[in-house]
Amino acid sequence: MSATTDFVAAQKQNRRNTVLLLAILTVLAAAVGYGAGALLEGQASGGMPLVSNAGVAAAAIMAVVSVGWSLLSLALGDKMVLAMSGAKTIDKADAPQLYNVVEEISIAAGVPMPKVMVLETDALNAFATGNKVGGGTIAVTRGLIDTLNRDELQGVVAHEMAHLANLDTRYMVVVGVTVGLIALVCDMLLRSMAWGGVGRSSGNSNKKGGSGGGILIILLIVVAIFAPLAAKAVQMAVSRQREYLADATSVQFTRNPNGLIQALGKLAEKAAPFPGVSRATQHLFIVNPVQTFTTRSSALLATHPDIADRIARLRNLGR
Amino acid sequence: MSFWIVLGIIVAIGLWLVALYNGLVGGRNQAQTAWSQIDVQLKRRHDLIPNLVQVVKDAMGYEQETLTKVIQARNNAVAATGNPAQAGPAEAALTQATRGLFALMENYPQLKANDNAMQLQEELTTTENKIAFARQFYNDSVNSYNVRRQSFPAVLAAASLGFGPIELFNMPETEREVPKVALR
Repeated sequence: MSATTDFVAAQKQNRRNTVLLLAILTVLAAAVGYGAGALLEGQASGGMPLVSNAGVAAAAIMAVVSVGWSLLSLALGDKMVLAMSGAKTIDKADAPQLYNVVEEISIAAGVPMPKVMVLETDALNAFATGNKVGGGTIAVTRGLIDTLNRDELQGVVAHEMAHLANLDTRYMVVVGVTVGLIALVCDMLLRSMAWGGVGRSSGNSNKKGGSGGGILIILLIVVAIFAPLAAKAVQMAVSRQREYLADATSVQFTRNPNGLIQALGKLAEKAAPFPGVSRATQHLFIVNPVQTFTTRSSALLATHPDIADRIARLRNLGR
Repeated sequence: MSFWIVLGIIVAIGLWLVALYNGLVGGRNQAQTAWSQIDVQLKRRHDLIPNLVQVVKDAMGYEQETLTKVIQARNNAVAATGNPAQAGPAEAALTQATRGLFALMENYPQLKANDNAMQLQEELTTTENKIAFARQFYNDSVNSYNVRRQSFPAVLAAASLGFGPIELFNMPETEREVPKVALR
């Protein structure tokens, strides 16, 4: 229908997915908590009880921890990212054109003016962070201000504004916490099973030992090993899809695909790593500052799609 | 039994009306905010243009005609303020005139070295972009508001709740042209 509806819809979808992920995360954490608690109680009493008090208690603790962890990362993630990156707040006098461009795009997106920050490096890159509509921060490198022309800068800023307007940054924080917790929980599961195995072999055998239990345990081990990898792959797929969406939303704001196309071309050549960038923050940037840009960057665990693919999609938007 | 059914229907209609009302108020407020943004930026442009002309006047002595045209277009735009139907074309003409001035400024190296002139040019450029983006956002907001109040079943209640249609703001000749693809 109208141009606004697309990113408003994306925003709604991200909101819904955030709540859904939080719910899944909590249920998962509770389930694993119950499993671990029941396993321990089973070992202590020499048989798995149907309803385990220790399990229920552990489930409650895990649920509270997972919700608390998510809320804490949502509240503090923003500040931690900015502190890690070493970006500095600027006002209009420091970089009038950048400041003006951010103002323009915030009008196009119909969102309040975000904070503007600069990373003092020659590398070409930019990122956005923020966890609610309104507020948020857009940071670009000094190299980007000096190298790009006005239209290109506008395309990059609009891409970052798209992440803020779509609530991508918040969504990715929750996804990140989910993936981290799945990894942690699977690790715990493997360890507790290793203990359980020791306990069993030391003579605490129950009547139902048999081959059925053995297969179940092998299955659990396989799941515990592959679940974190699968979760990571899903996280990266979501991240790549968000990049494509932000590129498209950027063009909705500027109505000028050429600015972003030219900017991405220049960024592909000079998106070198710089101090303050790490694997922890790489997914935030407009182009990945850590990974080298070969065809491999379209692989399963890449945070960003290949730049050539992004440019090809933007060209298709023009017709 | 039937009393509860009737009550249920009344409550459902009431809730629907509340949702409709809030949705329309949100849409109308968004459009009004966007409009005030356009207003602010248009005023800013009207204020900036005389300053720019003042700064470039000495260097561009041989371009009196262009400068006069810019000032004339600016005065027409100021006169049309507050009347969307006239303001649209007047602002469009002003955009054309300032673009002509920017193109001519490229020919004067002493202006490119003049911080004041460059700063004013950047301010005017950003103001024109802001007008374009604010208009874009305004028209998008108005479109989705109008579609919402005209679609069934909202159309049954919108007018009696006091939600009239809102007008688009058109500025011919300044819109980004859709790239033409020659097919042969």
